[in-house]
Amino acid sequence: MSRSLVHAWLRDWRRRPLQRLLTLVAVVIAVAVVLAVDLANQSAQQAFDRSMDEVAGTATHQILGPAGGFAETHYRDLRLAGWRATAPIVEGPARLPDGRTIYVLGVDPLAEGAFRGVASDIGDAPVQRLVTEPGTILPPRGWWADAGREHEDRLILESAAGRFAVTLLDRAAEGDEAATDVDGEGASLWVTDIATAQTLLGRQGRLDRIDVSLDDAALETLAEQLPDGLELVPVAARDQASRELAQAFRINLTAMSLLALLIAAFLIYNTQTFAVLRRREVLASLRLVGAGRRALFGVVMLEALLVGVIGTLLGVLLGIGLAQVLVGQVAQTMTDHFFVVAVTEVAPRPLALLAVIALGVGLSLLAALAPAWEAARVASPGRLGRGRLERRARRGLLGLAVAALVLLAAGGVVLRLGAGGLVASFVGLFLLITGFVLLLPLVLAAALRGLARLGRGQTLPRIGVRSLERSLSRSAPATSALTLALAAAISVSVMVGSFRDSVEQWLGQALTSDVYVVPVAPAAARSGARLPAEWGQALARIAAAESVSTGSSQDTPSDVGMIELYVVAPHPAWLDDLPLLRAEGPTEALDRRLRERDAVLVTEPFAAHHDVAVGDRLEIRVEDGRRVFEVAGVYRDYGSPQGTVLMLTQRFYAGTPGAEGVGSFGLRLPEGADADVAIERLEAWLAERETAAMVTRPGDIEQESMAIFDRTFAITHLLRVITLLVAFIAIFGALMALQMERAREFATLRSLGLLPGGVRGLVVFQGAVLGGFAALAAIPLGLGMGWILIEVINREAFGWGMDLRLPWGEVGETVLLGIGAALLASAIPAWRMARMRLVPALREQP
Amino acid sequence: MVQRGSGVVLSLAGLGFGYPGEGRVLQGVDLDLAAGERVAIVGESGSGKSTLLHLAAGLEPADAGTVRLAGQALAGLDEAARTRLRRVQVGIVFQSFHLIPTLTALENVMLPLELATDLGAAQRRERARAQLAAVGLGAKEGREPEQLSGGEQQRVAIARALVHRPALILADEPTGNLDSRTGEAVFALLLEQVRATGCALLLVTHSDALAARLDRVLRMQDGQLQDLAARASAR
Repeated sequence: MSRSLVHAWLRDWRRRPLQRLLTLVAVVIAVAVVLAVDLANQSAQQAFDRSMDEVAGTATHQILGPAGGFAETHYRDLRLAGWRATAPIVEGPARLPDGRTIYVLGVDPLAEGAFRGVASDIGDAPVQRLVTEPGTILPPRGWWADAGREHEDRLILESAAGRFAVTLLDRAAEGDEAATDVDGEGASLWVTDIATAQTLLGRQGRLDRIDVSLDDAALETLAEQLPDGLELVPVAARDQASRELAQAFRINLTAMSLLALLIAAFLIYNTQTFAVLRRREVLASLRLVGAGRRALFGVVMLEALLVGVIGTLLGVLLGIGLAQVLVGQVAQTMTDHFFVVAVTEVAPRPLALLAVIALGVGLSLLAALAPAWEAARVASPGRLGRGRLERRARRGLLGLAVAALVLLAAGGVVLRLGAGGLVASFVGLFLLITGFVLLLPLVLAAALRGLARLGRGQTLPRIGVRSLERSLSRSAPATSALTLALAAAISVSVMVGSFRDSVEQWLGQALTSDVYVVPVAPAAARSGARLPAEWGQALARIAAAESVSTGSSQDTPSDVGMIELYVVAPHPAWLDDLPLLRAEGPTEALDRRLRERDAVLVTEPFAAHHDVAVGDRLEIRVEDGRRVFEVAGVYRDYGSPQGTVLMLTQRFYAGTPGAEGVGSFGLRLPEGADADVAIERLEAWLAERETAAMVTRPGDIEQESMAIFDRTFAITHLLRVITLLVAFIAIFGALMALQMERAREFATLRSLGLLPGGVRGLVVFQGAVLGGFAALAAIPLGLGMGWILIEVINREAFGWGMDLRLPWGEVGETVLLGIGAALLASAIPAWRMARMRLVPALREQP
Repeated sequence: MVQRGSGVVLSLAGLGFGYPGEGRVLQGVDLDLAAGERVAIVGESGSGKSTLLHLAAGLEPADAGTVRLAGQALAGLDEAARTRLRRVQVGIVFQSFHLIPTLTALENVMLPLELATDLGAAQRRERARAQLAAVGLGAKEGREPEQLSGGEQQRVAIARALVHRPALILADEPTGNLDSRTGEAVFALLLEQVRATGCALLLVTHSDALAARLDRVLRMQDGQLQDLAARASAR
C-alpha cells in the first residue's frame, strides 16, 4: 500500500476531527464498560474465592454441629482419639468502628499447621502472642495501608456478643518475614486465637466447626466415631450455593455490559460508514489514478485498525478507572448477600486485557468491513453516492426483516426450551433483542412514510421527515442504538421496580410482629447470633405482648447439601400472613401437618435451586440426627437468595427447644397498645442483661432491607446511565452526519428564504422525530425485556419470582428522556447548520 | 416590491470581495439593474461571475462597497432580515438545479410561496400548479427530482424561482449542466417566463451567444465589470 495513498486517506482526520473523535469515543466507551465490568467482577470474584478458601483452608471436610456451635470438648476428644489432622474453628462477622464488616476467624494456631492458606499463615512470633495474650488479633496485611493504625493499637470490634477491645498485631512488626512476601494479597480475614474469637463472637466453650484433612478411608472411620449431633460434610458443599449465586449476579452484570457494547457497535458502524462516504471523491480520484480495489479496501481497514487500537488503548485506561468505582459496589453486593468480601485492588489480568483489546479492535474492523467493501467497489464519485447506498439500504430492508423474524423465533425457542441455564437464557434474550432491532429499520421507514403522508401540504416538516427516510442507513442505526438504550432502561425499571415492590410487599407480610428483639450484631452476622431462649416469657410479660414468636437461622446438612434452615415458633394463625405459593389443603390442615408430622415449607428460591416440589422429601439433619421431611408447601421469600427451609421448633428439637438460644423474638402487641411504651420498657430490661440485644420495629428492618436492596441495584443504574450515554453519542453522531450530508439542501433552503431559526427548527424537529420513534419502539421492547428478566432470567439465576409491575411513571420518564436526549443531541448540529456559510455548501456535490 | 418597468431593482456600488489568501475576486464593481431589465455577465471561469451573484443575493456579505436590493442596503441588515428581503425580492436559478430531493416537483415550486407569502395551502398549491404548467411540467407535478431529466429539473427550478413573483431573477449558468439542445430550450423558457412576469434578470453564462440575446452584456475580467454593449430593452 503506497504511502501517498495512506496520506491521501488519513489527511481527513485533520479536516474533520469531530467525526474521528465520535468513532474513537464509541470504541473507548465500549471497551471501557466491558473491561470495567469484567475487572470488577473478576476482582470481586477473586476476593470472594480467596475469602472462601481462607476460611476453608486446605481442609477436605468439616465437622459441623447445630447452630450456635457445639461443645469444644468434642474437639479435645477427637485429638485424644488420635485424629491429628483436625483444627477447631470459631468464625463470624464483626464490625469495625468505621462501620465496615470484617470476618473473624478464630483458630488454634498450634493445630493450624497445614490448614490455612497464605492469607492467614501464622508467623512464629505472632502465634505466641495470639495464644498467650487474650484479645490480640491479626488484621489482614492489606488492611494496614489505609487504616491509619499501628502495631499494638487498640480497636473496638462490635459483634453479635457485644463490643470488645482488641489489640492489633502487625505480622511484619512481629518479625514474620512471610508477611512481606504476599504484600496485601488475600486481605479479608482477621485471624485470632480461638479463645479470643469465642469471647468476641459470644461462643464461650463452643466451636463452629472442626476442619478435617483426611483421605477417604480415614474419613469413613471418623464419621462412624462422631457423636450424635455432629456430622462430617465435604467442604465444597458448604459454599457451592454461594459461589453459584455470586456467579449468577456476575453474569447479569456482564450481560448489561454486552448490551452497552451492542449499542456502541451501532455507533462505530455509523461513524465508519459516514467517514467513507464523506471521502467518496477522494476514493474515486484514487481509483482514477490507478489505486487498486484491494488497496482502497486496505486503506479503509487500516484507518479502522488505527481507530480501533487508539480507542481500545484509551478504553483500557478508562475501564481500569471505572472498575475501581464498580468493584466496591460488586463487592458490597456480594458481602450483603453471600459472604464478607474485601477488595483491596483491581488487578487487570493479562488474558482479560488481551480479550478486551481484541474485542475493541475487532469491533472497529468488523464495523468497517461494509464501508471498506463499498470503497473498494467505487468507480466514480457517483458509484458511492449516498443515494445509491440508500437505495441499497432500502432494498435490504426486507432481508433484514426476514433475518429479524428468524432471530425472534430462535430466541423464543431458546427461552421456551429453558435448557442450558442462565447463559442460554441470556442468549435467548439477546436473540430476541437483536431480532427486534433488525426489524426497526423497516418499521422506521414505514413510520416516516406515514408521517410524510400526514404532513402533505406542510412542506418543511415533510422535508425533515422525508430526508430522514432517505437517510435510512444513517437514521436507522442511530435510532436502534437509542431504542436499545431506552429499552434497557425500561426493562431495568420494570425488573427492579417489580422486585422492589415484591420485596416491600413481602416484608410487610413477613414482619408480622409489632416489635422485634434481635442480637446486636452487624447485619451479616445477625443470622448466626443467638439470644437466650428463656427470655421469651420475660419479654412477653414486660411488653404485655399477646404472643411471642421465635426464629433462628442455621446451616445444616441435608441430602441436597448444606441448607439454610429457619426454625420458628410462630404466632397463632401465622400461615394466614405467609405468602404461600403452592401448598395442599387449607392452612389449618397445613399448620397441623407442620406441627405434628415431619414436614417443612421451602422458599421459592430453594425449590428452584434444588428442584423441589410439594410432596417431595428432604433428609435434613436436626438436633437428634437426620430425618426425612416432606415438603408441604412453597412460599415466597426474598430473605436469602440461596433459599431456606422453614421448620417448626417442635420438629427440630428432640427435647427442650432452643438450648443454644434463638435468633430473634417477635412480639405481637394487643390491639391499640402503644408500641413506644413497650419498646421503652423492653430497652430498660435489656440494658440490664449481659447479652447485647436491641429492640427494632418492622419499619427499621424494612428500611435496612430496602437499603441493601438499593445497594444491590445501584450498579445496574450506573450501567444504565453509561448505556444511555453511548446512545446519546450515537444519536448525536447520526444527526451530525445527517446534517453534514444535507448541508447542500439546507443551503438551498436558506437561499430560498428559510431563516436560520427555521433551519434550527428543522434539525431539532428531525431529532425529535428520531427520539420519539426510539422512545415509542423502546416501550414494547423494554417491557418485553423486563418480563423476560423477571420470568426467565431472575428465576433461572436466583429462583425468585415476583409480580410484574408496569412502571408507567418510569416508562413516561424514559420516553421523555429519549426525546430529550435526541433534542439535546440535535442542538449542536442545529446550531452549526444555522450558522454555516451558504456558498461553499451550495457548491457541494449532491 | 419594486414596481415593474421603473426604478432600480439591484444596485452594486464599489463592490469588492476576496477569499482569505487568494487575492481580490471582485473590486470596484458598479452595476444598476432596472426593473424588468435583462443583463448577462460573461467571463472566464473563476473570474468572479458567480461570486457577484452570491453577493447580489446576500448569500455572502461583501467586504467592500454596497449592495442595494429593492432599495435596501444589505450591509445594514442582519442575517434574518437579509433572508426575508431575499425570499421576497429574489428568485435564484442554479447551474445544478438545487431542487430539494425529498419534495415532489409541485412541492418544490410551492416552497417559496410557503416561505415568502401568507397564502393558504390551497392557494399555494393552485399558484404552484399554474407556474409548473407554464414551464410545461403540469403532468409531472408528483415526480421527485430524481425521476426527472436534467432539463425538466431546471424547468422546475425556473418555476420555483418565479412562482412568488420576485423583482429579480439571479441565474447562475442555468444551462451549464444541460446538453446544447436542452440548454437552448431551457434558456428560451427562462427568457419567456421572465418576460411574462416582468421581473429583472441577472444571468451569468459562459456562452456569448446566449448572452447576446439579453438587453445588456457585461464582461467580468480581473474582478471588474466591463459593459460590452447596450442593447435595446425590447428585442
